[in-house]
Formats: sequence, structure tokens, C-alpha cells
Amino acid sequence: MADRSILGLFQEAEPAADAMDGLAQAGFEAGTFDVLTGTPYPEGAFGEHVPQHRLFRFPAFGAIIGFTTAILLTAGTQIAFPMVTGGKPILSLFAMIIIVYEMTMLSAVIATVIGIIFESRLPNMNPGAYDERITEGWIGVVISVESTRAQEAESVLKTAGALEIKHAS
Amino acid sequence: MATNSALAGQATAPESHAGHGSDAGHVVLRPADVKTTLIASTTAGARGFKRWSIVLGVLTIVGIAGIVLKAVQSLDDQTEWGYTAAIAAFLLTVGGGAPLVAVAPVLAKANWVRPLTRLSAAFSLMGVVTIAIMVPLVAVLPPLVTEGARRRSIWFESPDLTPHVMIFLAMGTLLLAGLGLFYTSAMPDFAAMRDHSTGWRRNVGKSLARGWVGSTVQWRTLRMRIGMFGTFYFLVLIYTHFVFTSDFAMGVVPGWRDAIFPMYHSMSSIQAGVAVTIIAAWAARRYLGLQDYLRLDQFWSLGRLLFATSLLWVYFFFSAFIVFWYGRSLADIAWVDMFIRGPMIWAFIPGMFMSFLLPWWWLIWNRVRTSVNGPTIGAVIVLFGLLLDRMRIYVSAWSVPPEQIHERYLHTIPDTVWPDTFDYMIIVGALSAAALVMLLIFRVIPIVSIWQTQEYQLLSKPVKYLRGHGVLVAKPD
Repeated sequence: MADRSILGLFQEAEPAADAMDGLAQAGFEAGTFDVLTGTPYPEGAFGEHVPQHRLFRFPAFGAIIGFTTAILLTAGTQIAFPMVTGGKPILSLFAMIIIVYEMTMLSAVIATVIGIIFESRLPNMNPGAYDERITEGWIGVVISVESTRAQEAESVLKTAGALEIKHAS
Repeated sequence: MATNSALAGQATAPESHAGHGSDAGHVVLRPADVKTTLIASTTAGARGFKRWSIVLGVLTIVGIAGIVLKAVQSLDDQTEWGYTAAIAAFLLTVGGGAPLVAVAPVLAKANWVRPLTRLSAAFSLMGVVTIAIMVPLVAVLPPLVTEGARRRSIWFESPDLTPHVMIFLAMGTLLLAGLGLFYTSAMPDFAAMRDHSTGWRRNVGKSLARGWVGSTVQWRTLRMRIGMFGTFYFLVLIYTHFVFTSDFAMGVVPGWRDAIFPMYHSMSSIQAGVAVTIIAAWAARRYLGLQDYLRLDQFWSLGRLLFATSLLWVYFFFSAFIVFWYGRSLADIAWVDMFIRGPMIWAFIPGMFMSFLLPWWWLIWNRVRTSVNGPTIGAVIVLFGLLLDRMRIYVSAWSVPPEQIHERYLHTIPDTVWPDTFDYMIIVGALSAAALVMLLIFRVIPIVSIWQTQEYQLLSKPVKYLRGHGVLVAKPD
């Protein structure tokens, strides 16, 4: 099990991409190493592993829940207190749409907020090795590794041109 | 990764536009400099910030006092609250529309908008002030069943206080979506504040960055979240305008039925949003020294949008007006007498000029649009025009005596209602409170997004093309 976090710091993107290639070639499992940047580089620019996400499920489930609740609420109210307005049926969809729309949107927004917390892995309680220079343009290549392979990972980062190596447990 | 050339055009103002000096062309900025300059903008002008905060704070208190005194004097008289309804509508119009500047061009992958997204998204937080002002209005708004009969509304069989609840629900959802849009796109910059600022700003950055380190999954989900919240924001904004206009304008005037009015209100909100973004960008450039970030390209592009939305204003206005003017039913005649040539004609004529005619005439000139001050002047005119337009609509609507609520149409056109002392206090206080909210936000986080500026620098490169110059911009798939 990975118990060490090693960060290689680069000033240029090219050697950072080389480090990512080097780690893959050295047999480190995809997903155990990643690139940290202060700016969003185009996806795949470093040859990084892009994990699958389930972000769209949250608003979709939220919207379904909100929609269903609103239908039950509006239909239930009208059935419980039947009142004919303008000769229209008791269950008039057009009268229900306004409330249904609001509740659907509200639930979708709330579910999206919840989804952010899960999918972004935030708050990140154990961020591993990190350096403040990343938010001013430096590029970090971070790897979670077992102690037995730490030396090898460090060597790959240095070979690629890491200007500095940082450790965190 | 696909690339496209933005030579001589869209992405950056070409150098050939002489007369705009250093505003044209491309400036290469180092990431460390971007970070340092923009973080420094949160502490720039400390003395001026303090002075303005005190002034706006005092005026906000004056506004609160105005609301309280008006409530004590006339909480049972709906006709006294027209100007309060107008200023609430104006804040919804301005604060609600501005974030769309951060949404629509971003979804279309426009590059010029990057330095403006933070600024425009922050306006959604003005919703806090709008919701606060809605409290007395909701208290005054008559229930669905008044004097033993159900008044005309969009709520049909709904419980008695449905409009009172739904407006808060709608505005709350809008605020939540706006907050989500603002916060998610600000997260990387909170991390930059955590890493490079000092004192309480560092602590705030640490708390709000939530452990952001800029990993692949974090950037990937960030992009998606911005898209999602942007889409939600637009969908909820239109709904909120629909509910607000239906219950706080059409619902209180007998015989006013207009399917175009909610859309007119929403569209003018986008117009106001563009205008207020231009003015705020001008102020940030002028007082925070951000000339290298908020450049001609931004003002030029926003000027075009302002021109287009000013044309849309008259399209929607005329589409509604022509139905009433040609309709000639008693309800239609009453509407024209009430809202066009009636008690608020003093607001209608200058409002029409300033919302459409003047900005149209002003922004039609290329030399005006391709400048920093030209669109700003146009934006100031538009905002004044829309304030007058909201007064025309809401002061007229709320001046209708409640005993006429069940009439089929308006038999008697009310007299002109002029603002009293409390109204002046509320108007000034509301505008000050909104400005104060914005001022406080930008003492915590840079007014220009650090990461989006750096991303543009990353993806763009000045190039020589034949005998001219341009900027090559990469657009990732």
C-alpha cells in the first residue's frame, strides 16, 4: 500500500510530461501519479491518466427527486382540496408546471453542490506532497508510492529534470 | 488539441487600431507576475477602500432606516411601496443579468471574456440585498384570496400565500446557483490566496480552497461544474423574472395580461448585466491599475453585446406595446394610459431614450465601440434608462388601489406617485448596499481571475503574419 507521497517540481511543461512518461514506463500504476498545475492545461497534455467521473449523475438524480416531489405535492394538494377553476380539470398540468419547474431546478442545484463535494475529492484532507510555487506557474508531478519503490520514483523524476523533490507521508 | 488563428480579430484587438495606444495587441504576462499583481489588487487603495466602505455602510444604514420607517408608517398601504418594488426589480435586473456575461461567452469558448468572469459572476451575490428588500414587499403583497374572492394570478388553485413563498424560493435558488458559479470558479484562486497572500486573507484562502492542489481530476470537474452552474443559473434566472414580473407587476394591475413582459424583463436584465460589467471593469482598470488585464478587447466585445441588447430592448418593448395599442379593448386602452402616456410618462420618455435610442446612436460608431471610455459611457446611460424603466413599470403598478384588484380592467388611472423622503432613503440605501457587497468581495479575492488569465497566457502566442501581427490562440477540444 502506498505510504509515501513524492513531488517533483518543474519549471517547464516539457520535462514534466517526460516525467509522467518515465513513471509510466517504469511500471508505476496509472492513477498513482498525477500532475499538479496552477493553470488548467488541455486534457492529456502531460499524458496523464484521466479518471472517469459521475458528476452528471448528481444533478440528474436531484432533478428527478425534485420533479417527483413537486408532482406529488401539487397533485396531492389538488386532490385533497378539489377546486374547479375556469372549468379546467382538477389536475391541470399547466397550473402545476410553475411549482414543478422551481422544485426540479432547486433540487438539481442542491444535488450539484453535493456532487462537487464527492467528485472533487474536496475537502482534500490528505493532499500529499505540495508546493506553493505550483500556483505561480511551476508544475508538480506527484506520485503515491510504497516506501520500497520511493527511490526508484525519485530517480525517474530527477532524470526527467525535476528541479526539486519533496516528500510527504 | 486543435488550434485556430485569431489573427486580426476576435480574440485580441489588432494592433492596427491606432489611437487606442497600448490597449491594443497582446501582452505577455508571466504566471508569477499575474499572481502577484492580481493578489495585490485585493489590498490596493486601502485608504480609498476604507473611505468608500464607510460611506456605503452609512448609506446602507440610511436605507434600512428608510425601510423601517416606511413600514411603520404604511405597511398596510400597498400604494406607498412602488419605489421599493422598482429598486428591487432594478437590483434583480442588474445583479441577475451580469453573471450571464460569465456564462454565455465561456460556453462558446470565447477568450476575451476570461478577465471578466469573476467580476460578472460576483454580481449574483447582490441577490442578498434584493432578497432583503423583498421582505417588506412580500409583507405588503395581497394574498391570493382578498375580500373573499380569488384575485387573478398565475397560481390558480395554489394555497393563499404561494406567491409570497415562491418568490423567496426562486430568488434563493438563483442566489444559490450564482454562489455555486462564483465559488467553484474561484476555488483555484482561493488556493493562490492560501499560498501567496498574508494575514486573514491567507486564512480565508485556506478555508475556501478546501485543499485544492490543481490535480487532473480537480481541473476536470471544475470545468464541468462551471458549465453546470452556468446552465442552471440561466434557467433559474428566466424563471425568477417570470415569477417576479407576474406577481409584483402584472398581478397587482387588473386587466394586465402580457406574455411578452416577463421576457422583456429578462432580456433587459441581460442588457443591464452587460452594462454593469462594463462599468465595473472600467472602475477596476482605473482604480486598481489593471490596465494589462482589462484591455480594449474586453470593452470592445462588451460594447458589441451592449449594442445588440439595446436593440433587443426595443424589439421586446415594441412587440408588447403593439398588441395593446392595436388591441383597443378597454383593458388595452387602460394599459397604454397607465404605462405609456399616463402618470409615469416622465420616466417613460427618458427611460426609452436612455435604454434604447441614446445607446443605439452612441454605440453604432466604430470609434466609440473600439475604445475603453465609449462603451462605459453607453453603459452608464443604459443603467440610468433601465432604472427609470423599472420605476415606470413598478411605481405605476403598485399605485393601483387594492380595492380595484378584482376589476376586469383599470377604470381609473392613478395619479403620478412621486418619491417621498423614505423612498429616496431606500433607493440610495439599496444601491449602496449592493455596491458595498461588491466592494467587500473584491477585498477577499482578486477581481480578475488569476487562473483564467494564466490559462489564456498559456494558450495564446503573439505571431507575425505577413506584414502584420496577430495572436495565435489554441482552443482545446
